[in-house]
Amino acid sequence: MAKIEDLKEEAKKLLREGKVKYIIGYGAGSNGWLAAPLFIKKPEDVDKLVWDPTCVHNLVRFLVDEKRRKARQKQPDKRPVGIMVKGCDSRAVVVLLQEKFIDRSDVYILGVSCEKMGVVDDAKLAKKLAGKKAKRVEVDAQDRFVVTTEDGKIEMAAEELLAERCLECKANFPVIYDLLSGEKTKRPLDKPFGSLEKIESLSAADRSSFWKEQLDRCIRCYACRSACPMCYCDECVVDSINLAVTADTTADEKAQRIHWIQRSAESSENLVYHLVRAIHLAGRCIDCGECERACPLDIPLRFLNKKLEKEAKELFGYEVGFDPALPALISCFRDEDPQDFIR
Amino acid sequence: MAEDYEPRIVAFLCKWCSSAGSDLAGVSRMEYPPNVVPIQVMCSGSVSPLYIFSAFNKGADGVLVSGCHPGDCHYIKGNYYARRRLNLVKKLLEYVGLETQRFQMSWVSAAEGTKFTQIIKDFVKELKPLGPQTKLRRNP
Ligand code: SF4
Ligand code: SF4
Ligand code: FES
Repeated sequence: MAKIEDLKEEAKKLLREGKVKYIIGYGAGSNGWLAAPLFIKKPEDVDKLVWDPTCVHNLVRFLVDEKRRKARQKQPDKRPVGIMVKGCDSRAVVVLLQEKFIDRSDVYILGVSCEKMGVVDDAKLAKKLAGKKAKRVEVDAQDRFVVTTEDGKIEMAAEELLAERCLECKANFPVIYDLLSGEKTKRPLDKPFGSLEKIESLSAADRSSFWKEQLDRCIRCYACRSACPMCYCDECVVDSINLAVTADTTADEKAQRIHWIQRSAESSENLVYHLVRAIHLAGRCIDCGECERACPLDIPLRFLNKKLEKEAKELFGYEVGFDPALPALISCFRDEDPQDFIR
Repeated sequence: MAEDYEPRIVAFLCKWCSSAGSDLAGVSRMEYPPNVVPIQVMCSGSVSPLYIFSAFNKGADGVLVSGCHPGDCHYIKGNYYARRRLNLVKKLLEYVGLETQRFQMSWVSAAEGTKFTQIIKDFVKELKPLGPQTKLRRNP
């Protein structure tokens, strides 16, 4: 199995030979411990690549931007883009392929396996440090985290810092790649949806107040939508401004338009927005955690996405992001799909 | 709860079966509660989850989606897609705390006027004790 050095060698070769337009990877961040997305155009810059549990971003979102950019160019450069993907990110690529949003020839996939680790959860880290700022997060030989702060080093067990989604990851290695760095080791996982139990065990009334309390905070900035590689629609149903208004549109016509959702941060509207977001991501969300990380109000969006992932599995035996040849969850059906809820 | 509370139901009925079924109930002068606002759609498969969320948001106490029986959809497969999609919608609504009874789906053919009236009667009966829907409603 290839090592990260081999991946760098390959990256250099790809750039030298002009086989890829550029490579999207991770580099040292400028603010503390977190790695930052890095766009590499020259082979000599490849050495800036880093790979460790601080490589949190799902870079697949940049493929959406790339496609838009290409669409605007008169003579687009048709060469593929090289991209570094973790296990979850690779499943985002699978979904984009499945939906024919991108073509396999558009990407050169440099897969990196998380092996025994995963990525650091910034919320967990902040809680542990209680106000202190982490300068560096490293992994020692015993697979424990070593966090460097102003007043020295703190050691922590892997589970204490790893994101919840990493601890519940179904395959912590890329499922599609042109080159794989690292071993395909699977983490033992007895409860893939264990984190949902707490909410599921509440009564309907308590669930309602839980979500009301959480979603009332939403300011409708749509950062969750912007961060998600699956939210690539050119027009989103929540933007009522995108309906064409011409000089001839009368006030009456404008008033008659259906406003499915308004952009008022009112609690029922927020709930409807989040229901729509969740259902549009059913069978598509690959649990990369970007929406939740992007949210300035720490709304636990993952609990919505994960719930539908669970239902897709339990009701239809559907697992997202493993096979680009399969039809998407809601663009197919089986004769034996459950219908006990139908009269 | 006021004794005379009457729930409002928004019913999305497919043109070829369920809407025709409700028509049959009408022209045959079968009696059923007047709590339904029927909305004809071309196929149960054309019902976007957003229709349902939006109906609740705009004040529905219950939402019904009704289409042709499996195998009978005018567009062959529409109701199979609906069955899958709306099952997820149902689970999601329950998950955010909406009472399970408030969202229903049924198969009603053009000949099943009686079944249609029965479904509405049962639906109204189940909704009454719950009182007005407030969880998704705008400014309840
Ligand atoms: S919904 Fe969130 S976790 Fe799921 S794919 Fe989009 S950004 Fe990632
Ligand atoms: S990122 Fe957070 S606050 Fe912004 S729209 Fe999404 S949930 Fe609401
Ligand atoms: S036409 Fe009736 S369900 Fe499709």
